[in-house]
Amino acid sequence: MPATAIDVKQHRTGIILSTFGVVLFVVFLFSLSIGQVSIPVEEIFFITLKKIGLYRSYQPDAVHEVVLWTIRLPRVLMTILIGAALAISGAALQGMFRNPLVEPGLIGVSSGAALAVVVLIVFGGVLSLTRESMSMSMLMPLFAFAGGFLATLLVMKIGNQVGRTNIAVLILGGVAINALAGALMGLVIFFADENQLRMFTFWTLGDLGGATWSKLLIATPLLILSSVWLLTFQLPLNAIAIGEAEAFHMGVDVERVKKSIVFFSALAVGVSVSLAGTIGFVGLVVPHLIRVMFQADNRLVLPASLLGGPVLLLLADIIARSVVAPSELPIGVVTALVGAPFFILLLNRAKQKNELSTQ
Amino acid sequence: MISARNISLSIHGRKLLNKVSLDVQPGMFTAIAGPNGAGKTSLLKILSKETTQHTGEVLVNDMPVSKYSVADLSTIRAVLPQASRVQFPFSVRQIVKMGRQHHKSLKKHNDTIVGEVSELTGISGWMDRNYLSLSGGEQQRVQLARVLSQVWEEKDFPRYVLLDEPTSSLDIAQQQLIFSLVKHACARNIGVLAIVHDLNQTVQFADKLYFLKSGSVVAHGDSKSVFTKNIIEETFCCRVNVYHDPCTDCPYIVPDRVGVAGVV
Repeated sequence: MPATAIDVKQHRTGIILSTFGVVLFVVFLFSLSIGQVSIPVEEIFFITLKKIGLYRSYQPDAVHEVVLWTIRLPRVLMTILIGAALAISGAALQGMFRNPLVEPGLIGVSSGAALAVVVLIVFGGVLSLTRESMSMSMLMPLFAFAGGFLATLLVMKIGNQVGRTNIAVLILGGVAINALAGALMGLVIFFADENQLRMFTFWTLGDLGGATWSKLLIATPLLILSSVWLLTFQLPLNAIAIGEAEAFHMGVDVERVKKSIVFFSALAVGVSVSLAGTIGFVGLVVPHLIRVMFQADNRLVLPASLLGGPVLLLLADIIARSVVAPSELPIGVVTALVGAPFFILLLNRAKQKNELSTQ
Repeated sequence: MISARNISLSIHGRKLLNKVSLDVQPGMFTAIAGPNGAGKTSLLKILSKETTQHTGEVLVNDMPVSKYSVADLSTIRAVLPQASRVQFPFSVRQIVKMGRQHHKSLKKHNDTIVGEVSELTGISGWMDRNYLSLSGGEQQRVQLARVLSQVWEEKDFPRYVLLDEPTSSLDIAQQQLIFSLVKHACARNIGVLAIVHDLNQTVQFADKLYFLKSGSVVAHGDSKSVFTKNIIEETFCCRVNVYHDPCTDCPYIVPDRVGVAGVV
């Protein structure tokens, strides 16, 4: 186990990241190619060339073109963006809380976002916010972000002990806020009509299938902004790994770093939740795998999570839509089926290494 | 010079520090000794700007510490807290290098400093080891190397190192090594302030000595001149005898087994 090994290997960050990049590209193509209608890889290239106006004379199979361009490509792109956002948020939050067991779901981001979206679905009409479906797809990311952000702030407030974060209290606070959000969601659903209920059910299933270009139009800039912004905290997070006071002494404005990370991970996770529901475990597992496989240096962990998250989510999506084809499993079911046993494994290891102390 | 004037601190109505004044001069090793709970660590936190709820003034190189940005302050002073708990498996090299990561100097230059400091602290043999696999004493030396690397570079202004019990988990040979290293740092225009427990060792190395008790300074001055039976007994409420060691030409104390003053 590298965590207890005597030596820490020096890794070539560049080589690892390029490998991740290549793997991501391969999985991306594979994901575009397979499905109920399988599209050969060269056809994917040609259709893309045609669409961007470089190979106008190409006459692709009409079904393939429609499937690729209106169904599969938006879905795959959305999967990549969400995978990246969840994984880098997880990596940044784990680094910030100095705890490898933290994931966005544990500190209330996901349930806060989900509650806000449910409120929007059920009461949006009353507040005359959602006259058209277009404004719904615009408002959902905003509501999800606000909900996620508020819930996280609340959890952080609970975990705050004389200016410091008490991790045990924080996690328990997260449990409480998650339970509260769940109860409030149940309460809100009580007021939902049949149509809203159907909308909500589809959404909670954690569905990547609902991807459309118009949804991507709003979500993409937000997800890219937040993910790339989180990427800039590599060195401050390394310093925080030694301790918050130590990082402060070394010149890191710890309070500002913490606030930015909470803000941008709430944005990233909130928008992801609004697009595809709550997808668990990607944010927990990806950064942890990278630390176990390579090293804990955030100059690797953050960018590698950004590339590894999409790989994992794309693979999970391939499983989700192929095992019970022509129907498909909710993506949350697949990630949880793989993630939950892994999480239990992590807890066991952490117990053995006494990592679950109260600070 | 780091200069603290009339520092008082109360937390939850409890007075932790009462009008403490203290100077840390560049090129000198200043030590603070005192019983547990005397307010030594609180004072160190105020000097490093970690705590700001105090009254009184702290000047660092003639400017109030509150006027410095976090980043600027980090090029002037480095701090070794009592215990650092690292949560992820970093290598020794990565930890020491973190002391340099916020300095905008060339990688090669930083590597030279890291190499020099690691050599001095005696950790250069295990730069690739996993920090978490080291013993407590070894970890402490790595942290010290990190702290020194932060201010090691020669500059045209004095730098400072604030150490909270730097030798607490070291054996006597390592303690001597750390103290002589601290003297070595003084020669580079660095002022050292350390909270210490071993008085006999301190008096061999420290230039200035402050005795702190219940948040107030009992006595301060040249370390050998304040190292007296009366002052030490008053500070620690413990009977001691002071002798002179001809080999080191230093005084040393032996606590008296008759018991704690006041109880007897």
